Amino acid sequence: MTGALAVGRYTLLELSRRRILLVFFVLGALGIVCLGVGLKVLYSFASSQGSFGAPNTDPAALNRYLELAFVNYVFSALGVFGLLIAFAIGMTAIYHDLESGAAVSIFAKPVSRFAFAVGKIGGAVLALVAIVGLLAVETRIVMFLFGGGLEASLTGEAAAVVANTMVVMLIVLALSTWMNNIVAAVVAFVYYNVITGVIAFVHKLFETGVIKNDVVKAIFDILYWVVPHELVSSAPGDLAKAQVALSNAQTDQGVLAAIPSASGWSDIAWWAFVVIFFAGLVYLAVRRRQV
Amino acid sequence: MAVVSVDRLRKRYRRRDPWAVDGVSFELEPGQAFGLLGPNGSGKTSIVKMIAGLLRPDEGTVQLFGSDPGNPSSRREMGFAPEDPDFPKFLRAGEVMDYFASLLGLDETDRKRRIPETLEFAGLDKERRHIRQFSKGMKQRLGIAQAILGRPKLLILDEPTADLDPLGRRDVRALIDRLKDSGVAVLLNSHLLSEVELVCDTVAILAKGRVLKEGTMAEVVPEGRNLEDVFVELIQANTPQHDQLPSFITDQEKK
Repeated sequence: MTGALAVGRYTLLELSRRRILLVFFVLGALGIVCLGVGLKVLYSFASSQGSFGAPNTDPAALNRYLELAFVNYVFSALGVFGLLIAFAIGMTAIYHDLESGAAVSIFAKPVSRFAFAVGKIGGAVLALVAIVGLLAVETRIVMFLFGGGLEASLTGEAAAVVANTMVVMLIVLALSTWMNNIVAAVVAFVYYNVITGVIAFVHKLFETGVIKNDVVKAIFDILYWVVPHELVSSAPGDLAKAQVALSNAQTDQGVLAAIPSASGWSDIAWWAFVVIFFAGLVYLAVRRRQV
Repeated sequence: MAVVSVDRLRKRYRRRDPWAVDGVSFELEPGQAFGLLGPNGSGKTSIVKMIAGLLRPDEGTVQLFGSDPGNPSSRREMGFAPEDPDFPKFLRAGEVMDYFASLLGLDETDRKRRIPETLEFAGLDKERRHIRQFSKGMKQRLGIAQAILGRPKLLILDEPTADLDPLGRRDVRALIDRLKDSGVAVLLNSHLLSEVELVCDTVAILAKGRVLKEGTMAEVVPEGRNLEDVFVELIQANTPQHDQLPSFITDQEKK
């Protein structure tokens, strides 16, 4: 336990000094502020130009439209920078110790490989939570200052970003123990963001009835439950509902059904299993590694 | 009880590779300084890494204080200074020592005393830069400092003086002498034969993973000769020699 705590503590300290994380954090923070400032500039410009030359447009509706666009972009930015940070942590937390030879001195100490893996994963997860958490706090401040609404959805969205990026980070951590860290990141990206993304997307098309084929649906139902899939917060649904409400259009059942719903308990339980599975893989990789 | 007991140890890195270590056996007693000598690729580092629990032997056994080195508690009284050591790059020397003190399970009182003293011994007590800015010599000194931090009963030094200046080498020799006197067993891998001759009681000369000669210094080095002569003679007799200069060098000499 003491060994795991020491490894976790110094992993966190080392990660906090890595420039690449600082760069991603600063870029994310600046991006979020720019989105907020951009919203206000765009609104002022639109108001002064008579709503882009369409004088009949309601200024309040325009403001609301820009606010929702801001929320949409800022949540996407949180996801993108969360993913970049997860890749950066996954690529460095264990790989650099193994490649530099630091692991030789560490493994020669009376610390088990299990304690080392637990400490590394713990330190990496804490770093990820801290950085995404700081970006979420900044997002909340920007939303407070520049408007946006849907503040209640932010906590759930930030939690979903942390949960999803944690899985990616664990995959990269496990792979980077076996192979070069850049190759590990590419493999993890293809596996998680491409293959799993395509399976989840096609599965969604079957769920919403866009594609109808019972045999293919059964295959994708199985595939969906053998790959990790992203947790979804209530934010996309809240955003879609707000946009539908703003359009004042007659909402038919098809449109309402297409609005994404938040992940349920079964998805959360599957996510927990996936996290434990990949954390186990990290341990196995560290345990087998000869330095 | 022997501090280290190595019995018919064999190791190869890939199935088709020749054995990196091939049937090596020896024992190391408390207060003894054992020198492992051999040319590059003779298997010295592989042997010490198996003793330190970093590599798994393919055949044979290693006992460290009577148990498997893979068991973390058996490494509690071992200090290991690796060849070409490195440490987490964004930590400072003091932080590395504190990190390793935690891994060794040292309490607060021991840390407060030992960390500044070992850093002072290594000449790194005033160093505030991150490890990534350290020279090879500074890393080597830190490697030795972290190895003695836990007051080990076995100190393994793999090429400990390769990147040190003459003063640093003298300090390491003094350290080994002092530790031997206090009953600590020392396992030394080194290419510097004069150094080994000065500090070791027993030596084993290896080539291609096999022990060519082993014994006390008096047994290995006859009266009137030195370790270097014996070493060169033994290695030349047991390994093919490539002492021909490249033709483009000799051609130039002729001109």
